[in-house]
Amino acid sequence: MTTVTKQGDESAVAASSGKVLHLPALEIRQGPNRRLYTFAVDGKQVPSFAAVSRVRRDSQQQLHGYQRPEVLAHVAAIRRYVESDDRPLLPNAIVVAFDDRVRFLPADTASDGPGYVRMGTLVVPVSEDWEDADKPGFIVDGQQRCAAIRDAEVPAFPICVTAFITADQADHRSQFILVNSTKPLPKGLIHELLPAASGPLPNQLRVRQLPATVLERLNFEERSPLRHMIQTPTNPAGVIKDNSMLRMLENSISNGVLYRFRGSDGTLPNIGLMVTVLSDFWTAVREVFGENAWGKPPRKSRLMHGAGIISMGYLMDAIADTNSSGEEFPDVQGFAAGLKTVKDYCRWTEGTWDLGDGIPRRWNDVQNTPRDIQRITDFLVSTYYAKQGKRHERSSRLF
Amino acid sequence: MKFFFPDSQDQVDPTFDFQTEERDPFRVRQRDDLYAHEVLKPPPFNGLLVSKAIVDGTAGSSTGKYTLPQRHRLYRQGAREFFRLDNGSAPLKIMGDCGAFSYVGEEYPPYTVEEVVSFYEGCGFDYGISVDHVIFQYEPKVLRTDEAAKEWVRRQQITLDLAAEFWQRCSASDVHFTPLGVTQGWSPESYAYAVVELQRIGYRRIAVGGMVPLKTKEILACLRAIDDVRAPDTQLHLLGISRVDEIPTFAGHGVTSFDSTSPFRQAFKDDRDNYYALDRTYVALRVPQVDGNAKLKARIRSGEISQGQAMQLERAALARLREFDRGEIALDAALEALDAYSAVWDGKANRSSQYRDTLENRPWQACDCSICKKVGIETIIFRGAERNKRRGFHNLHVFGQRLRRQLGDDDRD
Ligand SMILES: [Zn+2]
Repeated sequence: MTTVTKQGDESAVAASSGKVLHLPALEIRQGPNRRLYTFAVDGKQVPSFAAVSRVRRDSQQQLHGYQRPEVLAHVAAIRRYVESDDRPLLPNAIVVAFDDRVRFLPADTASDGPGYVRMGTLVVPVSEDWEDADKPGFIVDGQQRCAAIRDAEVPAFPICVTAFITADQADHRSQFILVNSTKPLPKGLIHELLPAASGPLPNQLRVRQLPATVLERLNFEERSPLRHMIQTPTNPAGVIKDNSMLRMLENSISNGVLYRFRGSDGTLPNIGLMVTVLSDFWTAVREVFGENAWGKPPRKSRLMHGAGIISMGYLMDAIADTNSSGEEFPDVQGFAAGLKTVKDYCRWTEGTWDLGDGIPRRWNDVQNTPRDIQRITDFLVSTYYAKQGKRHERSSRLF
Repeated sequence: MKFFFPDSQDQVDPTFDFQTEERDPFRVRQRDDLYAHEVLKPPPFNGLLVSKAIVDGTAGSSTGKYTLPQRHRLYRQGAREFFRLDNGSAPLKIMGDCGAFSYVGEEYPPYTVEEVVSFYEGCGFDYGISVDHVIFQYEPKVLRTDEAAKEWVRRQQITLDLAAEFWQRCSASDVHFTPLGVTQGWSPESYAYAVVELQRIGYRRIAVGGMVPLKTKEILACLRAIDDVRAPDTQLHLLGISRVDEIPTFAGHGVTSFDSTSPFRQAFKDDRDNYYALDRTYVALRVPQVDGNAKLKARIRSGEISQGQAMQLERAALARLREFDRGEIALDAALEALDAYSAVWDGKANRSSQYRDTLENRPWQACDCSICKKVGIETIIFRGAERNKRRGFHNLHVFGQRLRRQLGDDDRD
């Protein structure tokens, strides 16, 4: 596809080394004065003609370049994907700004396509010995992808490139800013898309996939007491913040009753059992605390608020741990029995909490902060243990 | 003689891959990670020391090292299950304290006696140390009536009053752990004075605090003074002391246990004594991650050095060390790569001759601990928590061997 030639007539183009790449390309006219080029090239070859321009100042404090250092973890993630996926796909073109040593030679063949596009060949001088500053191209977008392909242990990996030619450094810089100033996706949308996503994802999202999937089932399954109650982009009327519910699920998956179903060493998580335990628990919560506190927006009921959802999650873990072992766990009645022992001490919708620290707290003074969540949690769990009698004497002394 | 290791959530991740430096993203911290007593045989210590300050934080300032979910699981399961004390080749004991160093700057300890008793009993500890307030100074000539001793006397009295209350509460509620009182002082006489008071309260196990900055002969002077008043059946615990050579001498003064983090911490805090061998120490081979070294990162961001070049030197250093370990290249080639990388991240210190000493002796190849056996030269590379903590574990292993040798115990298991 690409040919390296050493032709006399290209000497003006590639005086420094005499080598050029001939890349089949499309020229696209955009607006009155801009020409874009799109072509394919082996990613391994990119460093021979394009550099990453990093921000630095010279001795006169003049700004040079415009790029940030590679984010090594991000590079490693892409590299692992390119190396290990059986059909890796990097669909986005990288963007390269060329200086005017690069030329476009239109093909002779007349085409009856639209007037803004013509086929031809992009002639790019290359050299293995160039310093970054000598290279005719700068990578405006796609630095991490280029680094990953450069380092990947694969023989070749062709990628799409979009390029423009300009001698103007300031033009490079403004394109760089434009390309990189787009907003990331909102978190809530990412979480809602996660359960149905497959294939490569960054690790921190892969880890969130399980709680996001459990959340989705709680939110949309018929049998779930939380059906349509969790606020997500497609369910804006929900009263419980998706983030609060995710936190509660993550806590229990890492350190609570749901950990038992998380799977390990090649076994998949048992999402069905997770949903069963959660449905039983929240059904019990609805029964015990009743209409007054259930299904109301957080400003009317702290039970539906981050502090309520998350602290109740810890109580679920405590009740499950004291009433079950191994494969068994409490049912709705079991959870309800545990919840009833703390019910009279809760102030979800009115009144004042007596948390035992001598500081009375009005029900609506409880905030969704780590400190308040911890206070309510410690109080609920220790009260629960205290009511369990002799067997839990040890635990009831806590907090 | 029992050695307790203070827990600070120090575990290693068995899924960590030394080549790619990646780990299983689904691993759950603490649960899937391994403690030193699960990795090493025999366990390098007899028990763990767990501080309330690390688990719960202090009300006013710090938040502790435990996440809320971890803390609640510790309380639900108890320490034996949480720390997997029975998972090693020998079961461990667990001792609790308040972590007095975390509140040394406060006017008064931030915990009530009731809270602390609840913490020990709730977690199911074997031993519990009373609430104390550290006295840092050592001034053997200052009498308790001197103006200079005013603050020290105040702290000592707080410690004694809390010890009396602690004893009373433990007796009244019939706890399952053995209570220890704390003696704090600034001179041999003042330490002995507190021991008299603690024995009067009823304590037969006494923790000796505030000795970390003391010279060995100062510690011994205090122990001798305590000897004069110590009941024959009173046992001492030295808080934060690890002078192996002196342990048999300490034992002669009624010391039956001590705790220390220093073998572990020296692995990555010390300037040169990073890797223990039975009769000496070695400097570890520093190859920091390009994006883990603040100074280097700043130089890259400013454009002073290129990231690509730094990464190349870093990779070369790692590759040469591994080749050297396999006997594929000569020492000088490995050393050159180390020095070339050092020059970009650490212009000042020249550790070349120390590195040569480490490389020449190849101590990681001589070590029989399960960590060196498994990951070899990675243990002695100073780089990232997974390597540094493994080296700390290795040091604990050697420390345990030294200790048993000092005490004349058989070292074979
Ligand atoms: Zn070793």
